[in-house]
Amino acid sequence: MAGVQDIRRRIRSVKNTQQVTKAMKMISAVKLRKSQERLVSLRPYATKLLQVVQNVVSQMQQGETTPMTPLIQAFLAPREEKRLRVVVVAGDKGLCGGFNANLLKLADALFRERREEILQLDVVGKRAADWARKQGLKTTREYIATPLPGLAKVANELATEAIRQYVADEIDALYVVYNFFTSPMNQTPTALKVFPMALENRAETDQEEVPYLLEPDPVTVLEALLPQFVETELSRCLLESSASEHAARMSAMDKASTNAAEMIDRLTLHMNKLRQASITNQIIEIVSGANA
Amino acid sequence: MSDQILLEVVTPERRVLSVHVSELQFRTATRGYYGILPGHTPLLTPLGDGLLYYTENGEKRWITVFGGFAEVGPEHVSILARVSETVELLDPGQLNAERLKAEQAVKEAQTPEELEQAQVALETTLIRLQALGLASDH
Repeated sequence: MAGVQDIRRRIRSVKNTQQVTKAMKMISAVKLRKSQERLVSLRPYATKLLQVVQNVVSQMQQGETTPMTPLIQAFLAPREEKRLRVVVVAGDKGLCGGFNANLLKLADALFRERREEILQLDVVGKRAADWARKQGLKTTREYIATPLPGLAKVANELATEAIRQYVADEIDALYVVYNFFTSPMNQTPTALKVFPMALENRAETDQEEVPYLLEPDPVTVLEALLPQFVETELSRCLLESSASEHAARMSAMDKASTNAAEMIDRLTLHMNKLRQASITNQIIEIVSGANA
Repeated sequence: MSDQILLEVVTPERRVLSVHVSELQFRTATRGYYGILPGHTPLLTPLGDGLLYYTENGEKRWITVFGGFAEVGPEHVSILARVSETVELLDPGQLNAERLKAEQAVKEAQTPEELEQAQVALETTLIRLQALGLASDH
């Protein structure tokens, strides 16, 4: 009978675990919806802004000479990349499948390749901070446990500082390593160069475009446009990562719940068999005792 | 050429507006209010903080716009605002409280940065109140 007791105890413990994973799955689903909503509403803005920047930049590349301020130079004639600033965006918590592991693997690869060139590292998320510590890397800024509405501020701070450093000739490029949110089922770790911008040459487009009037003057417009662009891109990366994290956790917890259900089934079957066997045994004993 | 402009207002947080209008006015960062009629030459300009007026079906309406850009074409205008609200999103009670707080902050500001910050906050509240018709143009 002890065997049955033990199994019963195990079933109970698995059931508890299942309850936890189910709850986590549901929480993640809600959080995913929130992140996704924000991401979806940011996308039209980001696309439009990119279009505008591309239009203006290609117009300036073809058009008359404009005075080069350092910021405009960043987009029209990038410097050679010798000093990088990298932002690694991971999650704060585990229990989300390969979300953090895959991302940090990518970050590892990037650091192995360009160790000397990376001057500064910012981390978003506790897992990224832990990783940096383990690798013995010095971080400039750490953002841990940032709530969803706070992400915009993080993006703003990082963008402002990176642009200031570029203008001051301290860094040559800004990279972000984050999880791209392809779909709730699929997230891809990505290393994105935020700026200088790699604009494809659009001279061949046969679409006839009337050049914009840039008011009050091209330099003012670009100087205002570019920081906004960098900030929006960073903001998008952070949101992509947040949506990815919740999606990853949701599917991981879904799998865990299914696993738990299977395990409970198996254990219950096993327990029933044991109980049946012991009952049969007892009956045999009684019968053979009566016969004797 | 149609006599309508497609006005789209987007912010990082949401798509605020997408309507066909017959004319609109917005406040630029450096050159005051611009009025746009259909068939305007392409234009790109940074925006200031203020109200954006537009005429939809002969009715004059407005929304608040804070910062960002206006991209103008012959048949469309895209406003990429940092922040923007329709009148329905504003809450008069809360704004009046914010206004008092902002005025207090302006009075109590110690450093120039603090003062500037407080003034920006006050300005923002006043523009929102103006959108509700509760404060006069200043």
